[in-house]
Amino acid sequence: MTDTHCPYCALQCAMTLTGPDDAAREVGAPVTVAGRQFPTNRGGLCQKGWTSAQVLRTPDRITAPLVRGDDGELHTTTWDHALDVVEDGIRRAWSRGGRDKVGVFGGGGLTNEKAYALGKFARVALGTPFIDYNGRFCMASAAAGANRAFGVDRGLPFPLADVGGAQAVLVLGSNLAETMPPSTAHLAGARASGGLVVVDPRHSASAALTDDGHGVHVQPVPGTDLVVLLALLHVVWAEGLADEEYLAARATGADQVRRSVAAWWPERAEQVCGVPAAQLRQVARLLADAAPHRGGGGAYVLTGRGVEQSTQGTATVTAAINLSLALGLPGREGSGYGAITGQGNGQGGREHGQKSDQLPGYRKIDDPAAREHVAAVWGVDPASLPGPGVPAVELLRRCGTAEGPQVLLVHGCNLVVSAPDADRVRDRLAALDLLVVCDFVPSETTRLADVVLPVTQWAEENGTMTSLEGRVIRRRPALAPPPGVRTELEVLHDLAVRLGVEHGFPTDASVVFDELARASAGGVADYSGLSHRRLDEAEAAGEGLHWPCPATPDAPHPGTPRLFLDRFPTPDGRARMVAVDHLGPSDDLRPDAPVYLITGRVLQHYQSGAQTRRVPALAAAQPEPFVEIHPLLADRIGVQDGEMVQVTSTRGTATAVAHVTAAVRPEAVFMPFHWAGEGSANRVTTDAVDPISGMPEFKVCAVQVRAVPTQAPAPAQTTEVMA
Amino acid sequence: MNRHVVVIGHGMVGSRFVEDLLNRAPDTHVTVLGEEGYEPYNRVLLSEVVAGKVDVASIALGHVAPGGAHVRPGTTALAVDTGARTVRTSDGDDVPYDALVLATGARARIPEVPGLMPPPAGVHALRTLDDAREIVAATVNQTRAVVVGGGVLGLEAACGLARRGLDVTVVHVGPHVMDRQLGDEAADAVIHGLTRLGIAHRTGTTCTEVLHEPGPDGGVAHVRGVRLADGEELPAGLVVLTAGTVPETTLASHAGIATDRGVLVDAHGRTSDPHVHAIGDCAQPPEGATGLIAQGWEQARRLADRLAGTAVPVAEVATLPAPPTDVVRVKAHGLTVVTMGETRPSVPRTGCRTVRLSDPEGGRLVEVVVDGEHVVAATCVGAPEVAADLTTTYTRRTPAPRDPAQLLLRRMVGAGAGPEPSPTLMPDRATVCRCNGVTKGDIVQSWRTGARCTEDVARATRATTGCGGCTDAVCGLVDWLTRSDPGPAAVQDRAPDPAHA
Repeated sequence: MTDTHCPYCALQCAMTLTGPDDAAREVGAPVTVAGRQFPTNRGGLCQKGWTSAQVLRTPDRITAPLVRGDDGELHTTTWDHALDVVEDGIRRAWSRGGRDKVGVFGGGGLTNEKAYALGKFARVALGTPFIDYNGRFCMASAAAGANRAFGVDRGLPFPLADVGGAQAVLVLGSNLAETMPPSTAHLAGARASGGLVVVDPRHSASAALTDDGHGVHVQPVPGTDLVVLLALLHVVWAEGLADEEYLAARATGADQVRRSVAAWWPERAEQVCGVPAAQLRQVARLLADAAPHRGGGGAYVLTGRGVEQSTQGTATVTAAINLSLALGLPGREGSGYGAITGQGNGQGGREHGQKSDQLPGYRKIDDPAAREHVAAVWGVDPASLPGPGVPAVELLRRCGTAEGPQVLLVHGCNLVVSAPDADRVRDRLAALDLLVVCDFVPSETTRLADVVLPVTQWAEENGTMTSLEGRVIRRRPALAPPPGVRTELEVLHDLAVRLGVEHGFPTDASVVFDELARASAGGVADYSGLSHRRLDEAEAAGEGLHWPCPATPDAPHPGTPRLFLDRFPTPDGRARMVAVDHLGPSDDLRPDAPVYLITGRVLQHYQSGAQTRRVPALAAAQPEPFVEIHPLLADRIGVQDGEMVQVTSTRGTATAVAHVTAAVRPEAVFMPFHWAGEGSANRVTTDAVDPISGMPEFKVCAVQVRAVPTQAPAPAQTTEVMA
Repeated sequence: MNRHVVVIGHGMVGSRFVEDLLNRAPDTHVTVLGEEGYEPYNRVLLSEVVAGKVDVASIALGHVAPGGAHVRPGTTALAVDTGARTVRTSDGDDVPYDALVLATGARARIPEVPGLMPPPAGVHALRTLDDAREIVAATVNQTRAVVVGGGVLGLEAACGLARRGLDVTVVHVGPHVMDRQLGDEAADAVIHGLTRLGIAHRTGTTCTEVLHEPGPDGGVAHVRGVRLADGEELPAGLVVLTAGTVPETTLASHAGIATDRGVLVDAHGRTSDPHVHAIGDCAQPPEGATGLIAQGWEQARRLADRLAGTAVPVAEVATLPAPPTDVVRVKAHGLTVVTMGETRPSVPRTGCRTVRLSDPEGGRLVEVVVDGEHVVAATCVGAPEVAADLTTTYTRRTPAPRDPAQLLLRRMVGAGAGPEPSPTLMPDRATVCRCNGVTKGDIVQSWRTGARCTEDVARATRATTGCGGCTDAVCGLVDWLTRSDPGPAAVQDRAPDPAHA
C-alpha cells in the first residue's frame, strides 16, 4: 500500500495505491486506487482520480527514446543516441548564436524537485534566460495580482477546509464542480445559508450549485467580470458596507479605489455586463452581511481561470482583492481572498524557478541579493546567471525566429493543444532546429518532436507537490517504471554532464529537495524547514505543513496554514489596493464576428487530455469536443442539437458537434479545450496577453458561428476516437 | 510633444477627459479650471443621494495623480481670447493654451414662472451636490413635495423623495411622462409603477405660479405650493425643478465660437475655432446631444485619443461603429424604465419589425424593434431582467433571435431545474453522481448484481465518492430499491432482461 496523491489537479486528492484487484485488472491498471482521508478531499475522488492508474498501462506508453529519422518519422532508439542528438543540437545552436539559442518550456504538473531542477538546468547547464512554463497560462494573473496586493502569492493563503465554515463564498470564473469535484464539499456551509455566489457566463455545474435557493448565479457577458466586481465595490461603499476600521488599519489605497468605482454605479455596470442592477446590489449586500465587521459568519472571494485568462486578468484579480479588502476579509480566520490553483503543482511550479523572471524561493531574478544567495547554493558566480527571459507566449512566438531559440526542451506540457492560437504555435515549433519533448505518452506535441525522451509517471516516482492551499505533500512510488523509462531528474543529470556540468544535478528526489530547501531559505516561499523525511513524519502524525516553513535552530517551524493574520508581507505591512478599470476583451465583437467564444473544461478530462483521453471510461463519457450553443442562436443559424458547427475567428476554425443548451448566454458559445485536431478550441483563441502577467486571453474572443452542411457521418473517425 | 492643454470645467466629463489624456500622454501639460470648489463627483448619482441610497462620500470621482494636471478648483474662466489663445480667469491671470477644451456642462433650466424670481426657500434644482444636500435637508421637515418635470431625472427624484416618505406629485408639461423617450402606452406602464409607489402625477399641464409665504421677520420667503394651468393648487413645502438643462455656452459665444443650443462641434469634438474643442453637456455634436454621461465619456475618450495622437485611423473607425451611447435608464427603487435607440412612436420605421408585450395591469411594457439582424430600439418598463439582456444585445449588436418575440421575455437560464424528481420518476439515463458519471441505471444495475446498501452501491459504482453531494439521492434510490421487491421488482420498470425473463 502506498499513500500518495492524485496525478491531476491542484486539489491533489489523497489516495492509496495497492496491488491490483479484479476490477483494476479488468481495465488493465497495475494498481488499485482508493480515496484516502485528507482535509481537502475527505476521502473523495472524482472519476479522473478513480481511473488514474489506467494511464500507467496505456497501450501506447512510450518506453524507449524516439528520434526523427531522415524519412521524417520517429524511430525507437537508445538513450545514448537520443541524448547524443540532443547534445549535438544544443551545441550546434550555441555555436551558431550563443547560449540563448536554447529554450526550456516547463509545466505546472512537474514535482517541486523537477521544477527546481529544470530552472537550475536552464540557468546553470544551458545558461539561457529563455525558460518559462505553462503555468503562465494558469496562474500568472492571480500571482501578479496577489504579489502586488499582499506581497506574496500563495493561491489559498488559508486551508481549503476553512472555506467550509463561511456564510458566503463568491466564486469568480471557476467551475470547480467539474475541475476539482471533491472540493465542492467545502461549499456546503455557504450553500446551506444561501450564500454561494458563482459568477460565470455559463450556467456551469458550479453555477448550478446555487440553484434552488443555495445562492446566486451571476451570469455576465463574457469578458466583463471586472465590471461585476467594480459594481460590487461601488455598492459596498455607496451603501456604507465597507469595513472602514480594517481599511484604515490594514490597507493602503482605499481612497483611490473608492473614487475609481464611483464611476461604476450598478445601472451603468448593467449596461456593460448584462447583470441586472438589482442583482448586483443583492450580491454586494449578501457578501457584506457575511463579513466579520457586520457580525457575519465569514466570507471568501475566490477567483479562477475564467476571470484570470484575460488581457485584464491581473486587473480583475486586483478588483477581487479590493472587494475582499473593502469587506475586511484577508488575514481574518474564517474569511479571505484566494485563487484556486489549477494544475497539480501549479503552486509549487511557480515558486522554484521555472518562471522567466524568477529564482527558487519565489525570488526575483533581477534582485542582486537573490542572485547572490541562489548562486552560492548552486556554487556558481552570480554574474554567470542569466537575467530575466520572456513569458510563455512571447517565448513561443520567438521560437525558430532570428531573435529566439533554435532548440526547445519541453517538459510536462502538451503545448500544441493547450497554448492559445494553436496553429501558430505549431508553425513556431516546426521552425525550430530541434524540438525535444519529455513525455510518457505520444501527445500531440511529441508527434512534432525531433527527439522524444520517455519519462516516469506519477505513481512511479518520488517527490513533492504543493497543493492549492500551499501545503507541501509527498508523492510516492507504488511501482517500478517500465524498463527503458527514466525520471526527468535523470535526464537533466545526463544532459548536464554531457554539457560539461558534472555536479549539481542529483537524481535522488530527496537530495534535490534538500537543495531546493536551502535555495528557498529566506525567500518568500521558504521551504528550508522541510525535507522528505519531515513531510513523511508530519503526514503520519496527521499534520499539514504549509509554506513558509523556514529552518529554525531549535523546535521545528510548524508551517503557516494561515497567512496575513498579523501583517501582510509588504514593506509597510499593509495590503495595497490599486484602482483598476475595465477595457474589455482584446478581440471584441464586430459585424463579421458577432458572438463570443468562451473556453473551459469538462470533468472527465485534464488539461490537453493527453492522459485522460487514454482512459476508456473517461473517453467514453466525453468522447469528443463540442460547442455549447444557446437555443436562440442555434435557431438563428439553423443548427440542431448534435449537428456540426464551425467556430471561426481571425486566427482559425474549429469544427465540433453542437450541444444546444440554455446554459450559455445567447451571444456566446462555449468549447472545452481538451482536444487536438479539427475540434481544437485553441486554434480559435487569441494569444493576446495581459500586459502585467503575460497571461493569454483564452477565455474570450470574437467568432462567427456557422452550421456545417450536413454530410454522412464518418464512421472511421468515430472508431478512432473510441479506440 | 509638450503642448499646453487647458480644460474648462472639472465635472464628470472634464475630469474623465483629463484622466484619459494623461493615461495616453503622461507628459502633456494640462491645466484644469474648475468653477465648483469641490473635487469632481458623480452627478449621475445625485438622485441616489436624494433617495438616501448612497453615501455622499462615495460619489467623489478619481483624483488627478500628483504631478499630473494642474487643477485650480474654485477658479472660474471669465473669457477666452481665441486670437491670443488665452483664458482670463477669476484669479486675474491669463492662461495660455495650445488646445482648449470646453467641458462647461449645462445648468438646470429654471422655468420662467412667477414666484421663482428670486426663488423662495424650499425650491431647488437637482444639478449640483449642493442642490442634492439641500433637498435632503428639506425632506426632514417637509411632508409634501412637487417635482416639476417628468423626465428621467424628475422620476428619479420623485421616487427618491417618496422613498423618504414624502407625498410626491410629478407635474409634467408634455402629454405624458418621459415623452422624449416613451410612447403613451409605455408611459401608462410607468404611471402604473409610480402609482404603486404612491406618487401622484399631473401631465399635460404646467406650473403657472410658485406660491410662497413670507419668511419669518421678513426674511427669505418659503414655498408653500404651486398653482397649475387649470388653477389647481398643489400644496408643497419642497419643490424640485427637473425641467431640463441649458448647455453652458456663454464663454464660447462671447469668444465668437459658433453656438446653437450648445457649442457646435463636428464628429471629432472640434468647434468653429480649430484650437478649441467642446465635450459633454455643453457640446452639440452633429447627431445631437443626449444629455447622457455615456455620450460625454465617449467624446472625452475620442478627444483624448486625438490630442494624444493615439486615435485609430479613420478608415478603421468607419468599419467599427462606436458602441451606441443612447441607453436611457431610470435609476429608482421599484421602478424600471429603460429605453435605447429611437423609441418614440412618432418616428417612422421602415424595414423593421416591432414586437410588443403589453401588460397594463402588471405595469409592464416591452417593445423591441429589430431590423432583421439586430435590435435597433427597445423600450422596457417593469421588466428589469429583460432590460439587462436587451441592453447588452443592443449595445453589442449581437445577433437577434429569428423570432424577435423571443426578446420580450426573460430568457431561460440553465437547465430549468425543477424540484428533484422522485427516484421512481427519474429516467434511467439521469446522472445521479456527477463526479463519477453514475446514472440511475448504473445504480439499479449494481443492485441487480448484489449491492444492498449505499456503501455497496458506492463500492460498485463510486457514486457518492467524489464531493458527496449526491449521497441523499443515492440513499433515496437505495430506499426505493429496498422497498420494491429486491432484484426482480427493481428490474421490472426497466426493459425486459433476458437473464431474468
